[in-house]
Amino acid sequence: MRAIGMILAGGNSRRIKELTKNRAVAALPIAGNFRSIDFALSSMTNSHIQKVAVFTQYNARSLTEHMSSSKWWNFGRKQGGLTIFTPSVTDDNNLWFRGTADAMYQNLSFLKNSHEPYVIIASGDGIYKIDYAQVLEYHIAKKADITVVVKELPEGFRAERYGCVKMDDHNRIVDFEEKPIIANTHTVSCGIYVLRRRQLIEFIEKCAEEDRHDFVSDILVRYRDVKTVYGYPLESYWSNIASLEDYYRTNMDFLKSEVGNFFMKEYPIVYTKADDLPPAKYNRGSNIKNSLVASGSIVNGTVEDSILFKKVFIGNNCYIRNSIILNDVYIADDSHIENCIVESHSTLKAGYYHKSESGVDVVSEKADRYII
Amino acid sequence: MITEFQEKPDEPHSNLASMGIYIFSWKILREALMANADQPNLDFGMHVIPYCHGKGERISAYEFNSYWKDVGTLHSYWEANMELVDIIPEFNLYEEYWKIYTKSQAVPPTYIGRDAYIERTITGEMTEISGKVYGSVIGCNVIIGEGSEVHDSIIMNGSRIGAGCYLNKAIVAEDVIIGDNVRLGGGEDRPNDTRPDIYNNGLVTVGERSEIPDGISVGMNSVVAGVLKKADFPDGGLPSGSTLIRGGDRK
Repeated sequence: MRAIGMILAGGNSRRIKELTKNRAVAALPIAGNFRSIDFALSSMTNSHIQKVAVFTQYNARSLTEHMSSSKWWNFGRKQGGLTIFTPSVTDDNNLWFRGTADAMYQNLSFLKNSHEPYVIIASGDGIYKIDYAQVLEYHIAKKADITVVVKELPEGFRAERYGCVKMDDHNRIVDFEEKPIIANTHTVSCGIYVLRRRQLIEFIEKCAEEDRHDFVSDILVRYRDVKTVYGYPLESYWSNIASLEDYYRTNMDFLKSEVGNFFMKEYPIVYTKADDLPPAKYNRGSNIKNSLVASGSIVNGTVEDSILFKKVFIGNNCYIRNSIILNDVYIADDSHIENCIVESHSTLKAGYYHKSESGVDVVSEKADRYII
Repeated sequence: MITEFQEKPDEPHSNLASMGIYIFSWKILREALMANADQPNLDFGMHVIPYCHGKGERISAYEFNSYWKDVGTLHSYWEANMELVDIIPEFNLYEEYWKIYTKSQAVPPTYIGRDAYIERTITGEMTEISGKVYGSVIGCNVIIGEGSEVHDSIIMNGSRIGAGCYLNKAIVAEDVIIGDNVRLGGGEDRPNDTRPDIYNNGLVTVGERSEIPDGISVGMNSVVAGVLKKADFPDGGLPSGSTLIRGGDRK
């Protein structure tokens, strides 16, 4: 593969509220066993990209822990592999990454020391499968300076939260607005870009000179008229975790067989760090309908239209509906949870009741556990 | 100190059994292996240990008092699996301080369908349950179709059970394809016609990578294996105690 990969996973979305209090958006758990960054990492490895850098910043701990071994995505190799860049204080720099372009600038040697002619930039919070090799082929065929992967949003989805794109009949991008007040298009940027490595170095050095720091607003938007920027329309599933509602909806999408099968059964598969967990267990009295249950979980009660992540315990006579129960949650007997996301490691005492009447609530309860 | 050692005797002189775990001084082992090098099917329990015992080597026993189960017969294998679905099994896989490691086959969670029902069961990753499952051990990447019922069975990795099937005390090996409306197990209690010593206790066994066509029924104490066609079952099925093994794996 003639490209290196860069994954921008530094973001901290305030619209996800409690769930990103202690973890990066890219480390958000998805569909029982995955974390959101797995989708970008898996697409990279499945496209035979051999050298990938992940830029991380806010709440990097859970993310670096997840990527503590690169073997899960087949990046454990002598040449290239997976590199993680977190901001670090050096002799001539004591700043955080002030933006995505600044993050690349502070680690410019990674780009300069590579020999691959192209760079694929992706965000760490997109849920999709894509063959970057095809995007690169398209980029070369179109003789583009930058190619942006774009998605036509289905009816009912608001485009204002994304980079909004207008293309001509040949898919050349004629307008690009980042999170406009009112969007007059339904085509949005997926946050995946392809460009020549030397071109990117040039952009980033120019940015740094001008004290600009953001890849999208300071490079993509500013240069959209002087450079040839093309859109590559993505036909398959794409979702971006930009808000709590997005997070909830994206997880629930995995209950639909077309989405579940696309990610979990159809080739190429999505990789993640695997734990050696025992099988999921359903005791007498359990009653589960239309739900995903990850390994290590034990269910004694009723679970409907929900996702149970790893090592979840559901007590006797519980009723769980339309909810996402994150890793290692203990829900004691006679509890009722409806329209909620229960934060990892929570312990809900017997008889706990929480039903959200509108939208989805995040439940986080810490209590001592006594387990035989 | 061990004073007597019998390998699989008809009448055991003791209820202390060897678990097949040995620690040797290298010199003793080396000597025993060299001395018995010409013995066909050289076996630790059958030859090496009795040889050392006969030579008067000091052989001591370590008495292990925790869970141990040998799964050397079909029935003990089935039993060991069934014990795992007990509410708190004697051998608890969910123990934090003694994890059991394995090659993780697949990672995605199990999907339990809208009309499914599942209890007293454990399931592996990537499995999809649309039918009803009671008291069973289901592996990874298994599919159990709509309207099927599975009781007290073991379904191994990668097997697919069609719609409207009924399985009772079945052991279905890996990558088996079972059509729709297939019935496995139950029926009259008759011993197996070829190997009653293996296929017994009401179990019905399906060999790996087998295929069973739609609408077939096979009774208990039976074994079927191979890619089977409707023509293999002139009577639409097999009575209890049957053996039907066809060569030729499915690719």
